[in-house]
Amino acid sequence: MEKKELQISPFLVFFLIHSVQVGVGVLGFQRVIMKSAGNDAWMAVIAGGIMVSAVIWYMYLLLNRHQKNLIDIHKILFGKWIGNTFSFIWICYWLLSGIVVLRSYIEVVEVWVFPTINIFMFALIFMILIYYCVSGGFRIVTGLSFFGVVIPFYIFFTFFFPIEYAHFQNLLPVWNHTIKEMSVATKDMVLGYLGISTLLMYYPYIKQAKKSQKWAQLGHLLTVTIYLIIIIISIGFYSEEQIAKEIWATLSLWKIVKMPFVERFEYIGITSWVIIILPNICLPLWAATKGIQQIFNTKPKKILIMLLFILFCAMISIRGRDNINLLNEYMSKFGIILLFTYLPFITIISFFVMKRRREKLEKNS
Amino acid sequence: MRIRRNSSRMKKIENDNKEDTSSLQDLLQELTKSKEFTQFTYPGRDFTLCFGYYVSLINLEILHRDILPYVKELTSIYELPYVLPIEDIVITSDSKEIQNSLLRGSIFLFDINNLSQVGIVKASLEHVRQVSLPEVEFSVVGPKEAFVESLDTNVNLVRRRLPIPELVIKEIEVGQLSKTRVSVLYIDGIANNENVNTVIQRISDLEIAQVNDSSTITQLIQDNQNSPFPQLIDTERPDRIASVLGEGKIAILVDGAPHGLIGPTTFFEFFSAFEDYFLNWTIASFFRLVRFFAVFFSILVTPIYVAVLTYHYELIPKDMLATLITSRNAIPLPPILEAIILELTIELLREAGARLPTKVGQTIGIVGGIVIGTASVEAGLTSNVLLILVALAALASFTTPVYQMGNTIRLIRFPFLLMAHYIGLLGVALSFCFLLIHLLRLSSLGRPFLEPFYPLRLQDLTDSLVRLPFSKQSKRPILEQTNDTVKFNQSKAEKKNDL
Repeated sequence: MEKKELQISPFLVFFLIHSVQVGVGVLGFQRVIMKSAGNDAWMAVIAGGIMVSAVIWYMYLLLNRHQKNLIDIHKILFGKWIGNTFSFIWICYWLLSGIVVLRSYIEVVEVWVFPTINIFMFALIFMILIYYCVSGGFRIVTGLSFFGVVIPFYIFFTFFFPIEYAHFQNLLPVWNHTIKEMSVATKDMVLGYLGISTLLMYYPYIKQAKKSQKWAQLGHLLTVTIYLIIIIISIGFYSEEQIAKEIWATLSLWKIVKMPFVERFEYIGITSWVIIILPNICLPLWAATKGIQQIFNTKPKKILIMLLFILFCAMISIRGRDNINLLNEYMSKFGIILLFTYLPFITIISFFVMKRRREKLEKNS
Repeated sequence: MRIRRNSSRMKKIENDNKEDTSSLQDLLQELTKSKEFTQFTYPGRDFTLCFGYYVSLINLEILHRDILPYVKELTSIYELPYVLPIEDIVITSDSKEIQNSLLRGSIFLFDINNLSQVGIVKASLEHVRQVSLPEVEFSVVGPKEAFVESLDTNVNLVRRRLPIPELVIKEIEVGQLSKTRVSVLYIDGIANNENVNTVIQRISDLEIAQVNDSSTITQLIQDNQNSPFPQLIDTERPDRIASVLGEGKIAILVDGAPHGLIGPTTFFEFFSAFEDYFLNWTIASFFRLVRFFAVFFSILVTPIYVAVLTYHYELIPKDMLATLITSRNAIPLPPILEAIILELTIELLREAGARLPTKVGQTIGIVGGIVIGTASVEAGLTSNVLLILVALAALASFTTPVYQMGNTIRLIRFPFLLMAHYIGLLGVALSFCFLLIHLLRLSSLGRPFLEPFYPLRLQDLTDSLVRLPFSKQSKRPILEQTNDTVKFNQSKAEKKNDL
């Protein structure tokens, strides 16, 4: 557990969980899940939500038992060398998720706003922003997550504009897809909820951490609700053939929004999305910095600069829609393996290891 | 660096002084170097007295009316306090103390045959401005007293409003040259001890030659000295200081400065005028919301204009676009130059108005506002839409009740403008994120600057963006971490109000 001055109130976990889940994925998740689940896609959203809720539950199970962050847990369970190797895999995952989020966002900007944007300069501005945020420590990152949820919340009201043109009979007939199709859609949907693994790093920074699970689940619930609203509106608004061609269906929804002083709302949406994705990059990068700092015991600012350098190089070297898609795919597979295979595995191991150690202690005494 | 170098030189002077004034004889020799130092002997009944003082610092009327007629009766120096009708009399042999009191406006006198005991009589002449109307924080209703340059008068103004023994005033001397008296005010038992210690520690640690004003102290003790945002509120209203002391804040008064400082504070407090507390809560809340709107309007409106007209024409509906295009079609400059020219013009007007005497200043306003504005539109240099926006933004920035914050708001508009020109609305959003992170990182005496929003404290929200009725504010703000959190008992108050 960290010092009390550095800790945050448990209810802020709500914003940490929610802000890291909502990112570039929201802008175009419809096509992927509707490809297999069609008009039943909303069920996949709920099913994916329940699965991730279970992940949060066993993450808390693991963390509550140890009251430490993942790096320390690895050291306790596997010893210094093997433990650190596992930790290193997670650090790579967090760094990679930062890369994927920022690169996907830059792609959205390239396609929708500035086709000829100078990625070098644009990424550099982001690097400065991220450095300024993450070097402030965890409280600043949390603050950004908080405002990253509160300030752009007005955007979600604009999703009600397309309702006027939606045909909700598209939702019928309910359940006309096979279990197999649904499970593929659910797997794809889970990607939209990833990012919560940073909880493994910031758990010791939460006051009364055990009680914070309620807030984590509520934050997740808000994400599920937002996804659900968007998918239901999208099913009503688009036909299945149409959505197969829309890479960023959410952005296209905004084209309908019309106010007396503003048209083409997607520009404002993409602009406001900056503050939504910033915590999405800062939080994993903070987790990676903290992890490396714990493993190698070096100065966090140096590590951060090094990580930002890697991030920056990735930004300017990854080009083209195909490469970005490929990266997204790798990253999602990586994430799913870590969250749904590795985490349950380590939770069970920790249960047995701790039990045996306790028995040993009892025998000795 | 410069301050440090000065301070080392100052120490040298101090050390020299110490050696020189080791005895009274040496001290006298040192003092007579100045022409205004007056020294004379005066025959008493039993012995001859020697008087000395700086003629510019003392009130000669006191000398002639209250001192000279009485000293004739003296039999020894020790009788001074009983004979003279003056309270502040000390008898000492410490030459350092003698020197200090002389410089603060005292007269010394001693028996010419006995140099070891010297009487110091306070007879200082102070030119004090009368307590007058507040000029920066004027309010139509409510008290109309403002601080003046004298620390004693200012302390008197505060103490009269808080007649309780718990009001503690700690005095610290700052500045090797100016020897300025700096007072730290807080209410014992309410103010958080950690805050009090921080303030006292930071002020005592100051190494500086001269303190010219309270703003010198602000700049030196605030948490982040490079931030354009002030982190302590300065106020000229004694009623405001008395009121925030009751909330558990700490006030700093500086001799020679007509403004007091208040801390710890939050970003949102800078937009609350003290007049808000004199108005009904609905009206006060409305005014506060108007001020917050003004801040965002003032920062964002010209950058958004530049961004939209440089990159995002599609954002504007057709009818509105027509208005914009007609106002801009004859203008040869790109939006960014147009905006910067106009913004700079407003800054020039403001600066010229601030530097010139009031009567000339009015002329500047007319020349600037009407002549330059109209002429530049007619000449086709700027569009009249932008002229309106810039003028409105300037107007909005003047609604900020704390002067220092208003300046900040006007400054941070320029980076927004440049970024808007570079990448349009994205630039505005990125600058906004930068501003947000900067504010998140700031703290005021170690307390978070964006409280009550982050960290979220619902209780403190009752007096931030809006001001709820006094009956709802029964507790002191959590920000101050006070020792005594309850202002008054709410349930009791409600019971008394009951029919």
